[in-house]
Amino acid sequence: MRLFFLATLATLAALSLLAWKLEPRFAPTGKTGLVWVSDDNPQRKLQIAGFNAESADCSLRLDPNNSGMQKIIVQSLAGVGPDLFDTNANNLPVMVAADVAWDITDALKKRGIDVERDAWPSALPHVRWNGRIYGIPANACTNALFINKKLFDQAKIPYPSGPWTWEQFLPLAQKLTVRDARGKAQQFGFLMDWWTWPQFVIQWGGQVYSDDGTRCTLDSPEAIAGVQFLHDLIYKYRVMPSPVEEAAMATQGGWGTGSITQFGGNRAAMAFGGRWWLCTLRKKEQFPELSLTVTECPHHKERVFYAYGRSTAINKHSPNREKALQYILHMAGPTYNQGINDQADALAPFKKYCEGDAYLHNPAFPDEDKNEVWRDVMAVGKPNPPSPFISSQLADRIINRQLDLVKNDQKPVADALRAAASEVNAEILKTLQRDPALKKRYDALTGGKS
Amino acid sequence: MKRRQLAIALPFVLPNLLGFMLFTAGPVLFSLCIAFSNWNLMRSVPFAWTGLENFVTLWRDKDFWLYFANTLYFLIGMPFAIAGSLALALLLSQKLKGLVVYRTLLYLPSFTSGVALMILWKALYNPDFGPINYAIEALGFHAPQWLLSTQNIIGLGVEKVGFDAKQLGLGARDAIIIMGVWTAIGGSNMLLYLAALTNVPQELTEAAELDGANRWQVFRNVTWPQLAPTTFFITVMSFIGGLQGGFEQARVMTGGGPAGTTTTLSYYIYTKAFEEFQIGYASAISWVLFAIIFVITLINWKFGNKEVAY
Repeated sequence: MRLFFLATLATLAALSLLAWKLEPRFAPTGKTGLVWVSDDNPQRKLQIAGFNAESADCSLRLDPNNSGMQKIIVQSLAGVGPDLFDTNANNLPVMVAADVAWDITDALKKRGIDVERDAWPSALPHVRWNGRIYGIPANACTNALFINKKLFDQAKIPYPSGPWTWEQFLPLAQKLTVRDARGKAQQFGFLMDWWTWPQFVIQWGGQVYSDDGTRCTLDSPEAIAGVQFLHDLIYKYRVMPSPVEEAAMATQGGWGTGSITQFGGNRAAMAFGGRWWLCTLRKKEQFPELSLTVTECPHHKERVFYAYGRSTAINKHSPNREKALQYILHMAGPTYNQGINDQADALAPFKKYCEGDAYLHNPAFPDEDKNEVWRDVMAVGKPNPPSPFISSQLADRIINRQLDLVKNDQKPVADALRAAASEVNAEILKTLQRDPALKKRYDALTGGKS
Repeated sequence: MKRRQLAIALPFVLPNLLGFMLFTAGPVLFSLCIAFSNWNLMRSVPFAWTGLENFVTLWRDKDFWLYFANTLYFLIGMPFAIAGSLALALLLSQKLKGLVVYRTLLYLPSFTSGVALMILWKALYNPDFGPINYAIEALGFHAPQWLLSTQNIIGLGVEKVGFDAKQLGLGARDAIIIMGVWTAIGGSNMLLYLAALTNVPQELTEAAELDGANRWQVFRNVTWPQLAPTTFFITVMSFIGGLQGGFEQARVMTGGGPAGTTTTLSYYIYTKAFEEFQIGYASAISWVLFAIIFVITLINWKFGNKEVAY
């Protein structure tokens, strides 16, 4: 019996050894394998293939399963993190504070790359923190208004073109919202992803945080008016789906779903979306009847548009970080930037690649003849930078809880935004108590009024 | 001889023991230590021992009390789940044709992936085209908005713990409770009751029947007291599971919303630790949750145990 158990133990040990030995190596012999944590946008494959074809000594692989910020931080600090990871303006401060994002300011300067000069200004919050550069913008985006030509043609309404205002937009959206006898919407005039709500705050002249980031200013009359208009689009003008109507239109999961597939399925005449929506909407087999054009989004007091994007940074703890820098440099080059434009993964992060005919007219997609719109709105794009004095995740949780109530028509907009601002500001003060360095910075900005 | 036996046994025990020490006992003790610290994953804040500060903060944390109330609210389903399990066990202890098939079918939710079930229920709860609302509307009632609504059957407030008449109705919390009851009825509780029912002495039942007791009287005065140890065990375990629960549902079905109404303490711990990176604070919540569970279990033991007939 004893022999049997010992033999079992020895067999298990031998099998473990064998499994370890047989574990497939993902990089070809002689190349350094790099892991990039990003989303599972199908375009990533093309972007990776472009790099792998150019690189003599690196082989990049996508890891779409570990893209949560918490996973990246924990894995990186434990020494098993990815070599490269995607981040954005909200997450970058955390990545820097957690000592995970590698400062590449000098490395880029040495190689003649000036992100601050050459990239879209609104893409900079995704890579710059406290004056240092921690990554390269992976793309840049400002939403515009997609127009479903078929639904406009059916209603015999000419396609709108910007610049135009929300007042001009409303009658059009109302005409294009079709409800049955019971009031159930068959088609909406307008569709948008709720997370782009800062667009309305910005356009109405408000800001989520004060310029120095020391206060949440969602309680300002401008911010309240902006979100009130968004609420009215659902409940007063009824041109946009409520959460219940949205759930009724819910589609299957996967990358690029939700509003995109609803719009692609002819459920709305206009949609506020980014150029990256085209990654999904270009699929003729999925949306055979879809015919699109695009114009700039209506504006209010200020002709500005919410700009967002993402960036790619290097894990400071990666043993391959010097090699990973090759991919960052590749992202500043023509193959990557032209690829982003061709694949419609939003806009090339470096401005110069959005000029000229190669960008404006993609022969593979001749219908997309309004590419200048994306570039023009990008020029007036305004990012919504986070406050350095509160965790973005905590602030988002507080704000989203109140916005949930607004979206469900359970709380007046003014009350909800005042509550959100008050709670966020209280949390800012709590953060300052915990973090002496941050308090010093805050006091310097406010003259010690914390 | 004993030493030799120990030498042979140790290599077999060691992987398990090491695993337990490294991945269970170690982290548990570590979390107890860091509950008294300001540790977070942001290195900008210097690590410091903060004594009871996290616990004092927690006491004043409005969110903690809201989510604790949510956690307690979810326990509403517990008696229904236990009663349902017992009813099913009673049915399945009858001599029926195809009993194995019934037992397997009713146990099915327990070995189906939780996430798959939740996605299925999410579709069932769809306010516009979900079959549940279709049936409710067909019966002429006003259909609730289920996972999109903050309403609940006792009118628990959204932003503070207390009664809010506007919140009376059926909403996300109730939807999760109903799903939980459905899952739990045919699960391990039913199996425990089935096993316990086979252990009820036949002679007691027969004696009661000979004395003229009807089926209800037999159940009430013979079977039910005999099931008391099992009921006690199930109740204790359900309390523990219920107080620890709600994470998967929040993650998969609601994201903790709408407006935080389906966020339970376990989901709050996750949010604090892995989204806001306040590991010290999250550990403090975990230990407070442990203390709550421990106290409730003690109360159960002290008072519930009296009714148990062995």
